[in-house]
Amino acid sequence: MSYRIAVDIGGTFTDIVLMARSGKIATHKTLTTPEDFGRGIAAGISRVLEAVGAKPAEVERVIHATTVATNTILEHKGALTGLVTTRGFRDVLEMRRLRIPEMYALNYARPDPLVPRRLRLEVAERMGPDGSVRVPLDEASARAAGERLAAEGVEAVAVSLLHAYANPLHEKRVAAILRQRLGEKVFISCSSDILPVIREYERTSTTVINAYLGPTLGRYFESLKRHLAGIGIDAGIHVMKSDGGVMSVAAAAERPAYIVESGPAAGVIGAAAGVQDDVITFDMGGTTAKVSVIEQGKVQHTGDYEVGAGINLSSKLVMGGGYALKLPVIDISEVGAGGGSLVSIDAGGLLRVGPQSAGAMPGPVCYGQGGTQATFTDAALVLGYLNPQAIAGGGLRLAAQKGRAAIAEQVAQPLGRGEMRAAYGVLQVAASTMVRAVKAVTTYRGRDPRGFTLYAFGGNGPLVGAIVADLMEMRRVMIPPNPGVFSAYGLLLASVEHEIVRGFLVRLNATTPAQVAERFQALEQDLVTRMRAEGYSRERVELRRFADLRYAGQAHEITIPVEGSGPDFAQLARAFGDEHERTYGHQAEQEECECVALRVSARVPADLQPCSNAPRVTTAAAPGARKAYFGPKHQALDTPVLSRAELATRRAGPLIVEEYDATCVVPPGWSAALDAQGNIVLTADENH
Amino acid sequence: MKTTDPITLEVVKNALSSIADEMALVILRTAYSSIVRDSMDYSTGLCDRHGRVIAHGLTMALHLGAFPDAMQALLRDYGNDMQEGDVFVFNDPYAAGGMHLPDVYIVKPVVVAGELEGFACTLVHQIDMGGIAPGSTAVYATEIYQEGLRIPPVKMYERGKPNQTFFRIMQLNTRIPDKLAGDMRAQIAACNTAERGFRVLVERHGSAAFRAMLDELHDYAERLTRSEIAALPKGTWSFTDYIDGLGDAPQPIALKATVTIRGDALTVDWTGSSPQVNGAINCPSPFVKSAVHLMVKCIARQDIPNFEGYLRPLEIILPEGTIVNPTPPAACAARAIIGWRAIDTLMGVFAQIVPERVGAAGEGGVTFPAFSGWHDGRRYVLSETLTGSWGAMRHADGVFGIPNPGGNLTNQPVEMIEALYPIEIEAYGMLQNSGGPGKYRGAPGILRRYRLLGDETTIVMRADRQRFLPWALDGGSPGTPSYHFVQANGTQRVLPQNPMYPVRLTKGETFVHIGAGGAGVGEPLERDPARVLDDVREERITADYARDVYGVVIANGGVDVAKTQAARRRLRLERDPRKPSYLRYFLEPLGLRDFVCEGERTLSAR
Repeated sequence: MSYRIAVDIGGTFTDIVLMARSGKIATHKTLTTPEDFGRGIAAGISRVLEAVGAKPAEVERVIHATTVATNTILEHKGALTGLVTTRGFRDVLEMRRLRIPEMYALNYARPDPLVPRRLRLEVAERMGPDGSVRVPLDEASARAAGERLAAEGVEAVAVSLLHAYANPLHEKRVAAILRQRLGEKVFISCSSDILPVIREYERTSTTVINAYLGPTLGRYFESLKRHLAGIGIDAGIHVMKSDGGVMSVAAAAERPAYIVESGPAAGVIGAAAGVQDDVITFDMGGTTAKVSVIEQGKVQHTGDYEVGAGINLSSKLVMGGGYALKLPVIDISEVGAGGGSLVSIDAGGLLRVGPQSAGAMPGPVCYGQGGTQATFTDAALVLGYLNPQAIAGGGLRLAAQKGRAAIAEQVAQPLGRGEMRAAYGVLQVAASTMVRAVKAVTTYRGRDPRGFTLYAFGGNGPLVGAIVADLMEMRRVMIPPNPGVFSAYGLLLASVEHEIVRGFLVRLNATTPAQVAERFQALEQDLVTRMRAEGYSRERVELRRFADLRYAGQAHEITIPVEGSGPDFAQLARAFGDEHERTYGHQAEQEECECVALRVSARVPADLQPCSNAPRVTTAAAPGARKAYFGPKHQALDTPVLSRAELATRRAGPLIVEEYDATCVVPPGWSAALDAQGNIVLTADENH
Repeated sequence: MKTTDPITLEVVKNALSSIADEMALVILRTAYSSIVRDSMDYSTGLCDRHGRVIAHGLTMALHLGAFPDAMQALLRDYGNDMQEGDVFVFNDPYAAGGMHLPDVYIVKPVVVAGELEGFACTLVHQIDMGGIAPGSTAVYATEIYQEGLRIPPVKMYERGKPNQTFFRIMQLNTRIPDKLAGDMRAQIAACNTAERGFRVLVERHGSAAFRAMLDELHDYAERLTRSEIAALPKGTWSFTDYIDGLGDAPQPIALKATVTIRGDALTVDWTGSSPQVNGAINCPSPFVKSAVHLMVKCIARQDIPNFEGYLRPLEIILPEGTIVNPTPPAACAARAIIGWRAIDTLMGVFAQIVPERVGAAGEGGVTFPAFSGWHDGRRYVLSETLTGSWGAMRHADGVFGIPNPGGNLTNQPVEMIEALYPIEIEAYGMLQNSGGPGKYRGAPGILRRYRLLGDETTIVMRADRQRFLPWALDGGSPGTPSYHFVQANGTQRVLPQNPMYPVRLTKGETFVHIGAGGAGVGEPLERDPARVLDDVREERITADYARDVYGVVIANGGVDVAKTQAARRRLRLERDPRKPSYLRYFLEPLGLRDFVCEGERTLSAR
């Protein structure tokens, strides 16, 4: 028998899912060991192998998602990094695009640049936007930069010269000079290699992030390989990228900027593998809720992303709080509303939930770990949605009385409402915040959410899924098996993917299909070489072409698939116009189309498909019933408490489904049943 | 009156503001001109059926006062004559409550079941509305008739049908009809998007309940503002700030604000500000009101939603015929300079009322050069919004590289400019040894240098803060001045901050922008030597500057404590307030050796 193992590292828990060739699944949750992640992973894998009676040698692949890259940036614990720029532009990294994510703030403190000014050095050279050399590289200035960086003892260097997307010659020469002086140990990244597209801040920032992560992630992967070898696993290790594909650990070590959002991406990929229609994924954990759109089984990507911004609304309007990372990322919007979100009343008398969070420590008041301010979870407890004795299958005992008192004193009394009404308000306000996240990826982009199914997972997603769906007038909610470890499950279903992009700024009427085809072929050649290095022959690789297009004069592009070997410009312009109309409500047929960049993606599809007996729930819930409150219209109702298996036939709400890792609430007006894959499907009643 | 529960109110409030943000995104992604898509000089909002603001997108803070007066003008002219499918357009400051002619309002009434329920509102700084100079922001116009096409409220669409008369007139009155049309299309698309979302909300709650909720939310915003004001000290405070003036022999222009706080109401009286001038910097009142609204929101400790009720506790007195409330036909195309200075003036007042919340003056707002010429046989206009140096706060250095609080603008990528225009940018970054020293120092000034590759390039420009430096607090030093040079073959000439003519440059000449540096807070000789050392290590200042300005002596990569104490004692006795060292370090490399500083912050330099 051969096995694949998925490992998803989070801040508190590491989730491990093992899948046999047959499709059989086993899961394990273990504490994360931040001092040496590899140790905890190896121990967890040993446990799960033991449990199913498998040998380490039978493991054929390990697929991994990690928050190490994100946390390295958030905690500013990356390498001491240098940056080499064109003379006159060392401060581009610090000035960014100016814009900040807050308004009316006189005391805004901007995040420090990842490279301090003294390590940002300049070389004399100049490229034109057409790739012509305007001023040849002064090699002496590059050597001087090398000396300075050597003296400062940097571990990594990013090289980002103006217009290097159009001609990488100078960057390559600078990198060679640096390499000569700094030796093999220093990690060097060129912007023309990482992100060869126009816009200097975004390209520089992305390259700097790659360099900043390089040494740390290199050590991390080495440790992981060592620990796995230590327990007898020498299988290939794959790492999930922010765009939902996986890459080899060797490639990830060279391009760590690609894996920054690997954790959240895994959940979306898991959902995409299980559905063919239109769903909105809704992943709510302890501090945030993350939302993404899947259309006809296809995951949506974005290039406008920042890491370290705290909350990413997936909206250009609130950009500037983090570090621009302009690599393809699954378009996930995130708001600060989770189980630990703090509840307060503002001076105008309105109820607020989040974005501050009680986190894992001290956590909600009802966890009895010293938390004193009411949270979302305390409200859920008051409403009767959570088991008042214990959650996590008895693993966490609750101090229900404390939670109730907090809601009564801090919310109900100031609002002059009953406890239940107040607690219900907390859920509604939290849900209205989450609606912003849903809108950011739907209505903001011209998509009507009412035709979508809400796919809810994470520790709290199943609890509020139906409430959020109600607010968006969505009529169907789906909750996969094992919703609490769902992201790890998603890792098993990812395909190997790489994308390569190159700037090509030209109006379509100023180039020819033959010229474009030639550029595509060059990109494809590079990509096939890269795939071969990863161990995939040309025949196994699916190649796809894309162009980033806009109307000449616009600043924002839309990525459009390009069919055929010699592209038909008229057809391309039409496809762009249609997508523009779909997204923004209008098109301008008489306007010229302009190309900004060309992309090629290579994909090796996942060879394991989710099987019908994919994750089954084994835990039986404590049966019975309890009172649960469903708003002023329904008040408190006797609500049956079931296990997932009891939904084999459709049952009408109100219902509560208790599981080891999550609680699903089916309000009145909704009914629930299992589908063939073991998902709970909630459906709104006709006249609800 | 029946009160809606607080939870539903919060949900409706969020829904409205997310519609306004959605409108802003539509414009951002579909606009054509760089001032819209990169500088983000535009605003979106929603109003109720009385024309009162109920949401404002996250864009230009200094447009906060843009919609109230304009909407009253629209309602005054059209009253009940609004049908489903109508779209209104206007820009005139005197006839339509506008701000200056490039700011074009496009407003769509939202009609549900035959009843007017509200408005989707957009305001975009259009790239060219005709007039005396490309970009329509010439500082040297003297009457509004020279500034471009004046549009009173008119229907650009009537019941969904385009008004060809309007479009044909518009087409002939702009230098860049394609971008203008594209940006107007973006505005209309945003209105259509908002109309859909707005209608859903009204239908979900029912017209009567929805209207009642809006009333309650206006009251809620009012309550929040009153609670903020009530928590402030009571009394009256004044501050006067200045614009350097116009042309080659500038005369100072004063802005004076007097703030009185009584109970939970606040009055801002602009009496004492200079009379209107014979140049295009007169500021129609909506923009000055915006500055007041903005400052109240900045001072508030909590978010006040953009429901117009929040304005009820505010009284704003704007004497007619002054620079802050001009009478027609005063020119006003470059009026933004007054808005920026109004913010500084108000900061000067509130720094006295709530010292811990307000810092020293920053760069003084956006410098706005418009470059124009011909490229590949086409006319182009490139407007830049240059900003990004804040004054020090009471306990922190001024932040470098973030936009002025008045407008959350972005800079334009150098590579994009070079790819699209015959311009090469040679440098963009901080200027070493700049900014006002202090226990907490202001942010350094910004340098941006352009080499012009076209045969002839015209620059129309508006700038400030060369003579009246950004003001400091608590014994800190004023910020460093703003300068603009034209350089060619080793020679340079200093441009006036507000040239009363178009500046013509030929191929190969360079235009240099130096933004003012932020002012400091507290005695520079009390600055923590470790902070000074850090500034030297990070090459923001030189070691000589550290010694002569801060009295910090650095040896072997560390602070020499004994020598530092001695140097600081000596500097206390020997400093010449008329010729402070930090200005010498700033001015000499620019070739300006002869300077004197008078009073607290008035600089003359040659």
